[in-house]
Amino acid sequence: MKFTPRAIKDNVNVSSSPPLKDFFKLTLKILGLILAVYILLGFAVDFIAPRISVNTELKLSKVFVRDLKKAERTQTELQLQRILEELVKKSQGLPAFSYKVFVEDSKNVNAIALPGGNIVVFSSLLKEVKSENELAMVLAHELGHFYRRDHLRGLGRSLVFLLISSALFGNNNPASKFLANAVTNAEMRFSQTQEKAADLYALELLNKTYGHVGGAVDFFERMTSKQKLWPIFYIFASHPYPKTRVNALKKAITTKGYASREKINFKYP
Amino acid sequence: MGDLIYLIILIGIGYSVGTMVEKRHYKRIEQREAELLCLPAVSAKNLLEEKPVGEARLVYGNAVISTDYFKSLLAGLRNLVGGEVSAFESLLDRARREAVLRMKAQARGADIILNLRIETCQITMTGSVEALAYGTAVYYKK
Repeated sequence: MKFTPRAIKDNVNVSSSPPLKDFFKLTLKILGLILAVYILLGFAVDFIAPRISVNTELKLSKVFVRDLKKAERTQTELQLQRILEELVKKSQGLPAFSYKVFVEDSKNVNAIALPGGNIVVFSSLLKEVKSENELAMVLAHELGHFYRRDHLRGLGRSLVFLLISSALFGNNNPASKFLANAVTNAEMRFSQTQEKAADLYALELLNKTYGHVGGAVDFFERMTSKQKLWPIFYIFASHPYPKTRVNALKKAITTKGYASREKINFKYP
Repeated sequence: MGDLIYLIILIGIGYSVGTMVEKRHYKRIEQREAELLCLPAVSAKNLLEEKPVGEARLVYGNAVISTDYFKSLLAGLRNLVGGEVSAFESLLDRARREAVLRMKAQARGADIILNLRIETCQITMTGSVEALAYGTAVYYKK
């Protein structure tokens, strides 16, 4: 037997299909799948969130506030706490938590409602605020979220999504990090109706507590004028302040005939 | 937003640099394969022609080829839905052919390499693949 060596002509071991095409096809397929699961689980969360009892929420809250509770309460926090307690006293139908407010250092001009009646106000927001009435409006807005249990809903969806993406890609994958961020923020965008409802709740509570609604729109108006993003980027912004929210508040003030009187000054040290 | 940019950069670098490196590697492989074509490497255990043997010894060559970010991501996506992982095919093909070429380089002057075997193993931490080619280089009595 004579062996004649020949060069390989067609490489049958490597597929000829372009990898980029493969990549886009797969990405679309998987994103569709994730979206379907996300929407389905989202409905489940919307169903479960209003049914979570106060006790269960308190247990859940321990994960979030463990770090916050360690620090000794500052003078500002005590001042905010007094405003908050005043608001809670005048409110109706809030879940029976002992409401607490914390201040955290962050560049984010925002305040968040965490499970168990905990509100975190970021220091940058306090720097923007000019009067106690504005601050009360922000706190009352967060109380509005507790009243409607929006905070659980938002958290639930983000939680569900994070679970999916970390199960698929792992925790530290930039893809899952990006998707988690985008969806958490998109959640806020989707819940514009929730934000508006919380705004209206806050307005009513502010009127009950102070006897007038002076300062109610000041903070939001200031934020709207500072917002230089195109509307399309709201989806990536941490907390959008669109004009429609301010307008809705102004409209509610006129229709309900709320008065506006002198505001109490507030200065962040 | 930052995460998305980071991701796109990684995919972009992975794809462009990975494709370039692969093209170059294939060019080199084909060129060397043509040069070494006169030295046959076969999987047969016995000599193909009856000739007196002067020397026979073990020759081997191995190559470790790494994946790139784009290929890993593509394979990861494929992992979710199942099917052929075509992203890694070229990786393994390159590793095998490179290993055979290195084995042939070690067997310079031989007349034939018998009993060629190729083994593969993965290096898990880095996402690389190793191919080891070994055989018996036979030198005929001159």
